[in-house]
Amino acid sequence: MLDLIVIGAGLSGMLAAHTAARAGARVAIVSKGLGALHWSAGTIDALGYFPDEKTPVSSPLAALPMLAPNHPYTLCDAPAAWREFAALTHACGLPYAGANADANLWLPSPAGAARPTWLAPRAQLAGDLARAEPMLIVGVRGMRDFFPELIAENLRKQNHAARAAFVPLEVITARHDSNSVQLAHALDDPARQLKLARELKKIVQRGERIGLPAILGLDNHPNAFQTLEAETGAAIFEIPTLPPSVPGIRLNDALRRELHRLGVRVDVNMDVRGFHADGARIAFVESETSGQPLKHRAEKFLLATGGILGGGIQSDPTGKTWEAVFDLPLTIAPNRGDWFRARFFDPAGHPIFRGGVAVNRVFQPVNAHGAPVYANLWAAGGVLAHADPILERSLEGVAIATGVAAGKFASQA
Amino acid sequence: MHTTSWHSVSMTLDECIKCNICTSYCPVAAVTDKFPGPKYAGPQAQRFRESGQITSPDVWVDYCSACRVCNEVCPSGVKIAEINARAKAQIVHERGIPLRNWFFGRNEILGRIGNLAPQIANLGFHNPVSRLMAEKILGVARHAPIPHWSTEGNFRAWFARREKLRAEKKVAYFHGCSTNYYEPAVGKAAVAVLEHLGYEVVLPPQNCCALPMLNNGEFPAAEKLFRSNLKKLAPYVDRGLPIVGTSTSCVLVLREEATEMLDLENAQTQALKAGMWDISEWLRERLEQGELPTDFRELQMVVPYHVSCQARAHRMGRPGLDVLMLIPGLDVREGNAKCCGLAGTYGYKAEKYDIAMQVGEDAFRFVRAQGEGVRYVTADSEICRWQLEHGTQKLGRHPVEILAAAYGLYDLDRRQLLAEMK
Repeated sequence: MLDLIVIGAGLSGMLAAHTAARAGARVAIVSKGLGALHWSAGTIDALGYFPDEKTPVSSPLAALPMLAPNHPYTLCDAPAAWREFAALTHACGLPYAGANADANLWLPSPAGAARPTWLAPRAQLAGDLARAEPMLIVGVRGMRDFFPELIAENLRKQNHAARAAFVPLEVITARHDSNSVQLAHALDDPARQLKLARELKKIVQRGERIGLPAILGLDNHPNAFQTLEAETGAAIFEIPTLPPSVPGIRLNDALRRELHRLGVRVDVNMDVRGFHADGARIAFVESETSGQPLKHRAEKFLLATGGILGGGIQSDPTGKTWEAVFDLPLTIAPNRGDWFRARFFDPAGHPIFRGGVAVNRVFQPVNAHGAPVYANLWAAGGVLAHADPILERSLEGVAIATGVAAGKFASQA
Repeated sequence: MHTTSWHSVSMTLDECIKCNICTSYCPVAAVTDKFPGPKYAGPQAQRFRESGQITSPDVWVDYCSACRVCNEVCPSGVKIAEINARAKAQIVHERGIPLRNWFFGRNEILGRIGNLAPQIANLGFHNPVSRLMAEKILGVARHAPIPHWSTEGNFRAWFARREKLRAEKKVAYFHGCSTNYYEPAVGKAAVAVLEHLGYEVVLPPQNCCALPMLNNGEFPAAEKLFRSNLKKLAPYVDRGLPIVGTSTSCVLVLREEATEMLDLENAQTQALKAGMWDISEWLRERLEQGELPTDFRELQMVVPYHVSCQARAHRMGRPGLDVLMLIPGLDVREGNAKCCGLAGTYGYKAEKYDIAMQVGEDAFRFVRAQGEGVRYVTADSEICRWQLEHGTQKLGRHPVEILAAAYGLYDLDRRQLLAEMK
């Protein structure tokens, strides 16, 4: 019998499973699909804007005490969880770091905009817009969805020195049509890494740092990154691409390897749609199969299915919303008219994204009276209420902080 | 809970958000430029295949191997592999079917013919000259691991002449064409295990599940086969007799694939869906009910377990692994290769053989990495076992054969029941 089943294989589910497994629990993950890390820039955004989108946060640590008492960050020790995460990434060979002095890092987006983040993988750190060296943004001629001229021009508008250049596609692959993941696989090959480095060396000028699309290898990424820096003599940084996103996939793969090492079985393509409770205790959850539903039994369950964008919260055109697995109480307004503000880019954000499952101080979903709905259920990540990951730029930070907290409380209970 | 109609294939088209995760995980697109990836062949091209279009705009959908890895990783529930299968059927409908693919769709008939004189059939087909001619004339890859006809008679004949266990508890067995004509040993091992559990095995009349036809775009002919099976199996389903199958791909077609692709959702197909089991899945259910005997002999060996894409498509976890892990001494190593490459009849086609072998390389490498001493590899699908044998020179065995060996009923090397070896 398992101690804990985590539902959801995104960042929060994996961190929750990892935390519980490290504490000695027998843990498994069941998940409908691969987590949203495949779309993620691979950075850990903790708190970029607060209280509205016009007010950038210089230090998330300093801003945390200002958050509402029911914000997920207020319920747990977020900075400790982020430090644990950083240590874990170092142990997995995909080291993350932040800016010095507890400040947010500002990195170039795929459109050349500046975006705030708390922790970034080593391969993105040299893109720090606080640094003065001019940037050479290099695209691959023939690669879809990465536009160095656009990025450089937008960076120049923000008073950063930047210029654009291209290398030919055949440096990386003989194929004519590849997406970012296929190009990254091609760059796992040391010979192609060297070939790319030689091309870059021809165009880079002294003192420039080189920004490339995030395709510098997958399984052999550390080697690709080191080879390029060593051979060009320039600082290299990756700029995230449109999905599928290689930096997010690297993080996903690293965490999955770590879970495998800890004996945590991860089953994807299992859509949990039903459950059975004996009174206040959940006995099993059921996932859909090609035949009869499959029962998954454990002592405890942890919900990490994501928010309204991740599928953990469902809605229909009549304005009904429901939590997808346990039909837990939600904080979302019953009237659709209250979900959105009139303007799409309203700096105060849209109320629907703050809606979700309310939890107590040990991350158990609670009803309107604050009492736990089930005695053996915990929740983490995007499904939680009272954070707006889009406005706050807090998606991964909340996933990690609440995943670690819920995993800890679930394993201790 | 969503109904199946909500999930009906064409509806899911609009759920595609173009994220390209499917293309990133597609084992075929990873090795060849001939297939641009599931997103392009599926949801994207489908917009040009709507009614009123004169012809399908693409032919590269033919390079989809139907492994369903795209469905598995899609975060939005798009039935990409089914969209591709329907597109293939549309092309066949418009342009006709190549003779070779027509033959591949009729493996049951080929099995039956070869079974009349298997030695002669094997000699006649499995010699370098015939295989070369088959490649040149028909386009059947000459090195592809096409199975040999069983020279010990077919499975049904064996079943009919043996003395059966009579018992209160009964289970029906769906053997499929490959067990009947090419690998009767798998069926013998399955029957031995089922009887060891105290079940009487009954053998319903049955025909080809229609997978080869579905994969080659012959939908009208496939529907005939599927409806015929529905009719033959209905009495067993109605009596509440569980139907177990050793060919995991046949079970998938009967429970879900045919219904979805041919749009045949009704009470009868629903009943079959609920009444049919992959044999490992059914054995795991017995284990959970506390009914699985654990009188295992020790099997001291390492066995690499390739999780077939067909088995993953069931979304039932890894029951083969769950059951084999009970055997003392047995070190079952689970691989994570996406697909063996052969994928039904895909790798048998001359123009696709190299692609299939490149796709399979991950699985071959995994098997080789488990050490020189490895003698057997296991997989739930016969197609994968044949491809793994071809790519690694190990011996392929169904999980139920290993289980039968562990119960002391079966010689894993000679593929014979111990009771019949005296």
